[in-house]
Amino acid sequence: MTVVGIDCGAKNVKALILEEDKILAKSSVLSGFDQKAAAQEALDLVLKDASLKKEDLAHITATGTGKEEVGFSLGTITEVGANAKAINSLFPSVRTVIDVGAEEGRAIKINDKGKVIDFAINEKCAAGAGTFTETMARALEIKLEEMGSLSLKSQKAVPMNAQCAVFAESEVVSLIHAKHAKEDIVRAVHDAIADRIASMVRKIGIEKDVALVGGVARNIGFVDSLKRDLNLDLLIPDDPEFSCALGAAFAAAEKAKGG
Amino acid sequence: MGDKYKTESLKCWDKAKEIRLNYYKNFAEAHEKGGLRWAGGAWSFDAIPAGLGDDVYPLTGEPYAASIAWNKDFALKCHEAVEKAGYARDLCSYMRNYWGSILLNKYAFGGDFPKPDFIWQDHICCSHAKWYQVARDLEGKDIPMYCIDVSIGPFEELTDNKLDYVVGQMHDGIEWLEAVTGRKYDDEKLIRAVYDHCRSESVWAEVCALNKTIPAPLDEKTMYSLYVHGTLNKSSKVVADFYEELLDEVKDRVKRGIAAVANERCRVMSDTQPPWAFLNVFRYLEKYGCVSVGSLYTFGLIGMWDIKEDGSWGPRKTPQEEGIEIKDRDQALRILASWELNKPEWQHFYAPQLKSEMMIRIAKEWKLNGVLLHYNRGCEGLSLGIAENRLALKEAGFPVMIFEGNMGDEREFDETQTMTRIDAFMESLGLEK
Amino acid sequence: MMEKFKEWYEKRHEYAKEWKSKTGGKVVGYFCTYVPEEILYAAGVLPVRILGSHEPQDVTEPHIFGMYCPFCRDCLAQGLKGKYDYLDGIMIAQSCLHIRQTFTSWKLHIPIDFSYYLPMPNNVQSKRALPYLTGELKAFKEALEKWTGKAISDEDMKTGIEIMNQSRKLTRELYELRKQPNPPLTGLEAMYAVVASQIVDKKDYNETLHGVLEKLPQRPAEKDSKVRLMILGSEDDDTEFLQMVESLGAIFVVDDHCTGSRYFWNEVTPNQNPLEAIAARYVERVPCPSKDWPERTRIEHIKKLAQDWEVQGAIVIQQKFCDPHELDIPATIESLKQIGIPAQFLEFDVTVPVGQFKTRVEAFLEMLKEEDLY
Repeated sequence: MTVVGIDCGAKNVKALILEEDKILAKSSVLSGFDQKAAAQEALDLVLKDASLKKEDLAHITATGTGKEEVGFSLGTITEVGANAKAINSLFPSVRTVIDVGAEEGRAIKINDKGKVIDFAINEKCAAGAGTFTETMARALEIKLEEMGSLSLKSQKAVPMNAQCAVFAESEVVSLIHAKHAKEDIVRAVHDAIADRIASMVRKIGIEKDVALVGGVARNIGFVDSLKRDLNLDLLIPDDPEFSCALGAAFAAAEKAKGG
Repeated sequence: MGDKYKTESLKCWDKAKEIRLNYYKNFAEAHEKGGLRWAGGAWSFDAIPAGLGDDVYPLTGEPYAASIAWNKDFALKCHEAVEKAGYARDLCSYMRNYWGSILLNKYAFGGDFPKPDFIWQDHICCSHAKWYQVARDLEGKDIPMYCIDVSIGPFEELTDNKLDYVVGQMHDGIEWLEAVTGRKYDDEKLIRAVYDHCRSESVWAEVCALNKTIPAPLDEKTMYSLYVHGTLNKSSKVVADFYEELLDEVKDRVKRGIAAVANERCRVMSDTQPPWAFLNVFRYLEKYGCVSVGSLYTFGLIGMWDIKEDGSWGPRKTPQEEGIEIKDRDQALRILASWELNKPEWQHFYAPQLKSEMMIRIAKEWKLNGVLLHYNRGCEGLSLGIAENRLALKEAGFPVMIFEGNMGDEREFDETQTMTRIDAFMESLGLEK
Repeated sequence: MMEKFKEWYEKRHEYAKEWKSKTGGKVVGYFCTYVPEEILYAAGVLPVRILGSHEPQDVTEPHIFGMYCPFCRDCLAQGLKGKYDYLDGIMIAQSCLHIRQTFTSWKLHIPIDFSYYLPMPNNVQSKRALPYLTGELKAFKEALEKWTGKAISDEDMKTGIEIMNQSRKLTRELYELRKQPNPPLTGLEAMYAVVASQIVDKKDYNETLHGVLEKLPQRPAEKDSKVRLMILGSEDDDTEFLQMVESLGAIFVVDDHCTGSRYFWNEVTPNQNPLEAIAARYVERVPCPSKDWPERTRIEHIKKLAQDWEVQGAIVIQQKFCDPHELDIPATIESLKQIGIPAQFLEFDVTVPVGQFKTRVEAFLEMLKEEDLY
């Protein structure tokens, strides 16, 4: 049985084809202004990659902020539920899932069967970590990809109070003027985001093991800060940004089986 | 999905509406009939100014400001006017709506803002007395203001020393009322108002207790339109009588199995004032067959409760029911103060666990599947300790969803995100649309 | 000369631990300056004010909703992180709701031997406040006696009042020196002194301050005259901010903070009933805005300070989300303007964006200097 999970995120639409437990293909396209078109494009890409046609699919489940926009989906699941399913399958020992994306951060507590026990989502004024890092990279005039490795070079913690991206940007500018080393400022940015994410996770209570998913999990500087803050190790899947899409695909498979 | 239960709209709905509109009209037109107007809070001891005569009309700030919040455009104009005047936007949003209405000189029920003749306030949170202090800055310092401080700690630790403090302020307040209005005070009218005050609050609790029934005869969105009368003028005969009428109708609904939500299969409660401009949140829940049966806020802000013989929560017995005959002013004030200081939605000002205990009781007795907590940025008083309530509810085994918002300032509410959260919560409770 | 105060401020925990091992006495952490320290001193208990650390933290989110002030969350974080593990008790005197949550969550989650909620009246302008508070102080004294197992005599009460009054008198003297055209101490030094007085044994504080007051008049004054500022608002021990402002050719000569003059301004006027005398002091003291109603008495006090200390401008600074201060600030700024004192408003968080604030303070000082020219 072949199914598709599609995650219509704020920044990217990710699609994934699953055949039983095997991932056949993955795609990611920018959401842009037209999420619906982006979703179609993502679907076309995975189908092409797997040499399949839409008719070959037993079910399609959508998730993500734009899940209702996906015209061709047969069902939906929330990001919370999708992540729970994906991580329970990838790392059965995990009880806490942290998902950090472009615009939203989430913490999800699950049981051994992948059932959601509790969850927390960051609030409106706590800006999205992904977008936040990008803004800070711009203020520091470095490439986003450099943030991670640069941060690891830092030897010094500089306190920074990042309530929202606008204020944090001016705080970063202050730090630049105060002649702090770039790597220390980058670490301060990561520490600040990690601080906020950790704060949110503590709200639901941390139970081991802990997994980190979402695009920001690719930023090694942030991962380092978060590990330090939570004082524990994090399990990160190979393609952390596809966690929701994978969970949606599992949901699709369940639907196809159970009706 | 087919509906499991029959539903009907409330018969007393039109009357509820009429009483509320008359209240606002009476305040605006009080002077035309030679009457007096006072402004204060929903917590104000409104039975006391009732002793000045039957032509003394109140305007309580919180429900008035909630009416403004309901009108998003007007609320936004109010907020902008207040920010322009130099006040912080994170202050109580009721207060800001109220000030905005003064600054724009626009009454939410038509015409200019009717200035009160005097202010009769209570001080429950840090902002309560200050609310009207600023109102005076804006509308004229010549408006006399009196405010009773009720900060005496939790009811279970009430002592004579504490009660004397509140009752002493009440006595002084009556002398003050006579001085500023030039009217002679009538203790008989006070006594009658105290009886009606207790009757309103006990009967409202009885109405809420009926919501323990499955299916719930009332949903919280509807209850908001009914509890409001208690926040307007709880000591008036009109309100007490209306609650008795409502009680009869709800009893009848229970008898006939009439539900508020036809497909009820999940019961939750909320907490704190809702984001008034977004009551559609409750309608959205109904798509999942989920009914909010109330909250400590709707039950305990106006309702007075007691632990009954079987250990469950039921309406508190009124002085009349206890066979107490009020003979003089001091006795009336003492009964009024000790009655009111027992308010359930007030104890958390001193210890969050007192509120958690009551919430857990509701969750059990009203047979709830989960709790939706509104982290309300608009009210420092009712959001107080809410994070600890969440922890306690979870520990007691109840799933909790939280959403941030603001009762009176829609700029702080994210509708889409809240609905997404509800989806995830309902999904985790095993429910589908 | 005044380094001791800074040292105490920075090493507050070490000080308290040493005090305990030296005296074998009990230490009570308190949350608001309405706490009647006289009675604690009378009982031989050391009161220390619980303060924040000015470091970002992420442990309070499960306990206090983010709409409350950073100070109350910072304080709770110190408790949750175990920084105050030497405390034997905690107490609060009723004031604002924000800090009240620090007390209630502390009590719930951090094991402690003794805790006390003193229902300090809010309606201090009512004649009913004095008898009420007197009664509550009696109940508090009894609770303290029960806890320590030691009766508090009238003589002890007298000692407690004397220690507190002495400290108030001396600190007032320190502030008097700041009236000079070139004050011999900076605003930062004054802040260290007052905050130190809230966290060390007043007997140590009084002794040190006594010595300082003898030497200060001989301290060589700065040659250049500086822009004289006052600082006022909510709880503030942000030394970094004061240092920054005073590096720009300005000097703080007076303040109205609960970490400053509001704390020590009024003395207890002793009478036969010590509890009533203490109650009167707290009812009549310069109020926190949360208790300043229906009339605003504090503004008159601020205006008088501004005039007596000849200030040229005021920095009005407030903890983010501090409702009581937010409710007084527009009226305060307006009143200062009426007597010709411009004000600059700033909002604090746990950390201060120094660069951003510097730009604003520089512009404000420029404006004040220009006013001097014309």
